[in-house]
Amino acid sequence: MKEMQTQPNAVSRREFLKKAGFASVAVMAVSTVSSMFSTGGRSPLSWPGAQEAAAAGRDVREVLRANFGDRTIQPSHVMLKTPIIAENGAVVPVAIDSDLPMEAGNYVKKIYIFVDQNADPFIASTDLTPASGRAAYALRIKMRKTSLVRAIVETNKGVLYGDTKTVKVTIGGCGG
Amino acid sequence: MTVAMAAVLAVVVGSLISCAETRASEKKVSLTPGPEVEELEQSMSYEEYQKRYKEVFGTATEEMAEDGNPAELALDDGLDLVNAVAGSKGLSCASCHGKDGVKLKGIAATYPKYDPAIKGIATVALQINRCREGNMGAEPFKYESYDQLVITMYVKSLSNGVPIHVSIDGPARPFYDKGKVYYFKRQGQFNFSCAVCHVKYAGYMARTNLISNNKHHGDHWPAYRLKWGKTGSMQRRFRGCLKNMRAERPAFQSEIFRDLELYLTSIANGEPVQVPGLRM
Amino acid sequence: MPKGVGKIRIRLPKHIAKGEVIPVKALITHPMETGLRKNKKTGKIIPAFYINDVRVYYGGELVTHADWSIAVSANPFMTCYVKADKAAPLKVVWKDIKGSVYEKTVQIQPE
Repeated sequence: MKEMQTQPNAVSRREFLKKAGFASVAVMAVSTVSSMFSTGGRSPLSWPGAQEAAAAGRDVREVLRANFGDRTIQPSHVMLKTPIIAENGAVVPVAIDSDLPMEAGNYVKKIYIFVDQNADPFIASTDLTPASGRAAYALRIKMRKTSLVRAIVETNKGVLYGDTKTVKVTIGGCGG
Repeated sequence: MTVAMAAVLAVVVGSLISCAETRASEKKVSLTPGPEVEELEQSMSYEEYQKRYKEVFGTATEEMAEDGNPAELALDDGLDLVNAVAGSKGLSCASCHGKDGVKLKGIAATYPKYDPAIKGIATVALQINRCREGNMGAEPFKYESYDQLVITMYVKSLSNGVPIHVSIDGPARPFYDKGKVYYFKRQGQFNFSCAVCHVKYAGYMARTNLISNNKHHGDHWPAYRLKWGKTGSMQRRFRGCLKNMRAERPAFQSEIFRDLELYLTSIANGEPVQVPGLRM
Repeated sequence: MPKGVGKIRIRLPKHIAKGEVIPVKALITHPMETGLRKNKKTGKIIPAFYINDVRVYYGGELVTHADWSIAVSANPFMTCYVKADKAAPLKVVWKDIKGSVYEKTVQIQPE
């Protein structure tokens, strides 16, 4: 660390990777420990995708916190479908489906989509009603670069469920 | 030697004997020998390529085409243009070609086509503009403008499902040869030819891109391309490829591009027209 | 309204059973400009122009309401679901940030 502070430009790529690797291992360890002690759900920052959120910088954490506070998100009942590779991120189809009930008094209130690496991680949110019949939504979105996509579902009782997928965005190549 | 290799070899041998041979059975016999081009082996069969495509990209594009191709919405604009009166003679396309251009059904499957009037190959886009100028006394469309693309798209979509059968014999032959030579000619700073990628390395990865096989390159343009976020013509794609090759880029509807379009469309002979397409 | 903006297609299943949950696939042509892109020739920023509000009504009742940001693709496509328990019109309304409203109504007719 001392080196980095005195000569920020002198850090070689390899060294940087080493350090970054160590850092991510540390994050992983912490998240594993925290998940061991949590019961069922996890807070927005420690459930799957925590490392990516840490790497993506303040934006994602703030957006997630602004929307969900410190409520836990359960990684179940939601399925996010995305392509593995998107040649150029201009059009990336994402589909969110869930098996949660849609009955009066017990239904999915809202579906959120976030992309960590976008300038604004918030992509879209959808308010649903029991008349929707199925807690599902599909959209085509723009992605600035390779990133984690998050789908978070909120029930009318305030319970959160979520799923994440990484989409590889390739730029250049044979785009033309 | 595996069966797959044998299949590849068979394809290669077939292509070396030159396309003239295979076309001969469909059309009248042409004894013109093919032009001399670089000998490149086709990397893999089309089936193998399709398998790889599925592995890399899955079915996302197909599903999107089913759900809704944005270009299809523009077809209505093309229809309006066909029925719209334009130019000094008070005519519309519909005046000659029937209401909504119905008489043009199936015609686009024979394009690009040799036209004696211009002593060269006419594409649908060029033909529309020639018709406007000559027969209607109207301003030709600017190539790649919205109007030009939607009317071309509409006219071509009238032939949807009709197998492509462009003629590469008789007067079209020299132009076909020119197109083929261009396809195989190495050019640009990278010293690539179209064929290096789309024949020899089709089905392989260039970084994270899967290089496409040329079998279906000719049957679905103008297409909506996800990268562009809009509709474009085959020739716009040519220019994109040439830019990546660091090569000189001919103008839209220039002679060499029309010849190249003929060559590429002739590869898709027998495949149904499907306009507008949806591409990555 | 610029050329080619606001063309709509809504796709429903061909046969709808009463009470069935059906997908509503809606496509609209719109540039969805982010306001972050520059015109390559002039270097000026292209002003933001995107749809930020989508509502789906079924028989006059709001079923789904979506908030979109700039990161929804050009010519936006969406699929949402509706429980087809009555013969009633289904209306989809898009609003963009310039205040234009685009809407289309289709009839749901359960068999």
